[in-house]
Amino acid sequence: MEAKIFDRETMLDLVVNFIPLGIILFFIALFVVVTPWGFNVRTSGVMLGLMIVPFVALAILTYLSAKAIAGDEKTKPVYAQGQAGLEEAEPEHHGDDDHTPDETTDASDAAADGNDGEEVDNDEGNDSDGGDADSETTDKQDSDDTADDAGEPAA
Amino acid sequence: MELNAQIAVTVLMGVFLVAVATFLTRIENWRSYTPVGGGGSFIEESGYIDEEKPAGIIRWLTTVDHKDIGILYGLYGIIAFAVGGLMVTLMRFDLVTSSSLLGTSTYNALLTSHGITMLFLFGTPIIAAFANYLVPLIIGADDMAFPRINAIAFWLLPPAALLIWAGFFAKPLGLFGPAQTAWTMYTPLSLGAVGPSADAVGGAGVDLMLLGLHLSGVAATMGAINFIATIFTHRGEEVSWANLDIFSWTILTQSGLILFAFPLLGSALLMLLADRNFGTAFFLTDGGNILWQHLFWFFGHPEVYILVLPMMGIVSYVLPRFAGRKLFGFKFVVYSTLAIGVLSFGVWAHHMFATGIDPRVRASFMAVSMAIAIPSAVKTFNWITTLWNGRVRLTTPMLFCIGFISNFIIGGVTGVFLASIPIDLVLHDTYYVVGHFHYVVMGAIAFAGFAGIYYWFPLVTNRMYQASLGKAHFWLTMVGSNITFLAMILLGYGGMPRRYATYLPQFATLHQVATLGAFLLLIGQIIWLYNMVSSWFEGKRVESGDPWDLRQDNVRTVEWQWFEQKLDTQIATDGGDEEVATDGGKPADEAEAVAEERDDD
Ligand code: HEM
Ligand SMILES: [Cu+2]
Repeated sequence: MEAKIFDRETMLDLVVNFIPLGIILFFIALFVVVTPWGFNVRTSGVMLGLMIVPFVALAILTYLSAKAIAGDEKTKPVYAQGQAGLEEAEPEHHGDDDHTPDETTDASDAAADGNDGEEVDNDEGNDSDGGDADSETTDKQDSDDTADDAGEPAA
Repeated sequence: MELNAQIAVTVLMGVFLVAVATFLTRIENWRSYTPVGGGGSFIEESGYIDEEKPAGIIRWLTTVDHKDIGILYGLYGIIAFAVGGLMVTLMRFDLVTSSSLLGTSTYNALLTSHGITMLFLFGTPIIAAFANYLVPLIIGADDMAFPRINAIAFWLLPPAALLIWAGFFAKPLGLFGPAQTAWTMYTPLSLGAVGPSADAVGGAGVDLMLLGLHLSGVAATMGAINFIATIFTHRGEEVSWANLDIFSWTILTQSGLILFAFPLLGSALLMLLADRNFGTAFFLTDGGNILWQHLFWFFGHPEVYILVLPMMGIVSYVLPRFAGRKLFGFKFVVYSTLAIGVLSFGVWAHHMFATGIDPRVRASFMAVSMAIAIPSAVKTFNWITTLWNGRVRLTTPMLFCIGFISNFIIGGVTGVFLASIPIDLVLHDTYYVVGHFHYVVMGAIAFAGFAGIYYWFPLVTNRMYQASLGKAHFWLTMVGSNITFLAMILLGYGGMPRRYATYLPQFATLHQVATLGAFLLLIGQIIWLYNMVSSWFEGKRVESGDPWDLRQDNVRTVEWQWFEQKLDTQIATDGGDEEVATDGGKPADEAEAVAEERDDD
């Protein structure tokens, strides 16, 4: 499970947190090597502690949140933000074809591009375990679909 | 005179504590409440319960409905924004000439109250307004996890405001004056003449302000616990961690920050109160002043992110709707929000670079401050990339989102400069710092607030605001902010120290420019207020369940589905479901014909 959650895609998403971690690590190393004000166990200890504590805290939170987010991503259908429970929404990995044809060519191209950019991570991650096939029960609905929605749970 | 004041403080505090104690003993089961809507798990059911509420003012005094409480928070925040805004208008007026027109003590009092009002009485509550109204709708919860605590948290705020402003009311009565400590309340200034509250910075006014701040902190903490519980335990089935929307993520993170930051502020405030009134010496000993600054900024820096994170959430949520595509790199934004949350606790002493703390300690705060700039920058790039090649529609909320990005870039870049120790030693305590944080607090936080207010205005009021007034508001606010705060940054480069009612003649021009900008801001906000009030009562009724035409780009979100159902239930006569659903997909004008016949019911 671990290995599956922390696959290449997830790691790619986490780069955003690895960078600040890297910056802190860089300064830790720098201040260990370069000591223009000398080394004093108490003060230098405080100095290092002030970088190590945020580093460790961020690493832990990143790990836990990645486990929660990527874990859910792999076991449950993924919707765009704010669209879980929306009647016309379908799980994300259907990207390009869920645009109504009445858009201008230009605009739908742009929109499709947008999806590509985002869906790279989801596509591969999800397709690999195929668990999402059964979640596609909702058909693609156009904006003027008249489907009776009274009985559908919204959440 | 002073004795009166002290007795007043003591009695007030006593009554308050007894009231709280009695209240606590009377509450047994905090969760016994079930929503009036009947506990159904459908959003639409809990959404439509207006009929079961008592009418008139009683409804608003007794409500535990998250949407009503959201509206109350919103009104409260707007009133505070008006008060804080009028205060700063007076200050800018005072600064037109190099001598103080109002008198330095009045200026200092206004300065103090402006800062505290904007941060604690406008910023935090306006965010709670959005969060209360929207988070349960978006995540598919019936209500907040603890609706009664939600109501209590709100009702602690009006007394908090009265306490914070107490000095302004008491002064005409000849009792005591308002606090003049500045929002940071640095000791030894805020300790006054060591010991009794008879001091030059406001006397009992300071004590009451400290109590008021404490109360607002209690309110914020209760709200935060409620949001954490709600988001963890009351999400709808389909809302997994992977689909949780960005606004709820930022509220969750913000609540975590509040949980760690505000109790610490509360303790520090009580220590200060004890030093002032009960003869303790927490901040009187050697190092006491540095201790205060450490305690204050350990709260203070997270506080700025408490304010900005949810507003970033609003922008990340609203911006894609008018760019016609999904937020670029959604998960980057989520992870960087969490990163900011953690790191914001590791940078507090960048506010204390000039205090003479050990340079080694200083260096580590610089390091973490540099690191925290990365997640902020990542978000900025995500917003810009979302706009790239998008089908951008420049509605008023979208204009405010774009204004947010523009201003946040300037605010953020100036912040990174300040985080560099050598630069900070030159610019600390100058107007540069004031310019920096106003680009963020006004240019970004308030802008996102306006974006949210315009965007969800139809959702809350069923009416549309007047678009041309909205545009006028945006341009006046955008131009006004940039004139005012750019002038401040330049003043700072020139060496103009902050928190002065008077200045040297060479700063006159830039100060007058800043006042001009503030005047534009004032006109803009008057237009906004007029627009909001008149549109609330007489605006064009929204007939479509999708007033922003989000469906055409497939970017509609669940709160608008709730809204559509609300409209349906309000106007459908019999089995009108089908045709109403059809209308929802069409632009408002096309739906009008059908709508007109429905108007009668
Ligand atoms: C990009 C990340 C940021 C960095 C690196 C940064 C850095 C700094 C630094 C070093 C100072 C101290 C300047 C001095 O007093 O000499 C400062 C002041 C301030 N910053 Fe920022 N800042 C950042 C973002 C923000 C944000 C997002 C907010 C608001 C939400 C904010 C609000 C403030 C406030 C209110 C002050 C002044 C506090 C006072 O002395 O009254 N900053 N900032
Ligand atoms: Cu800070």
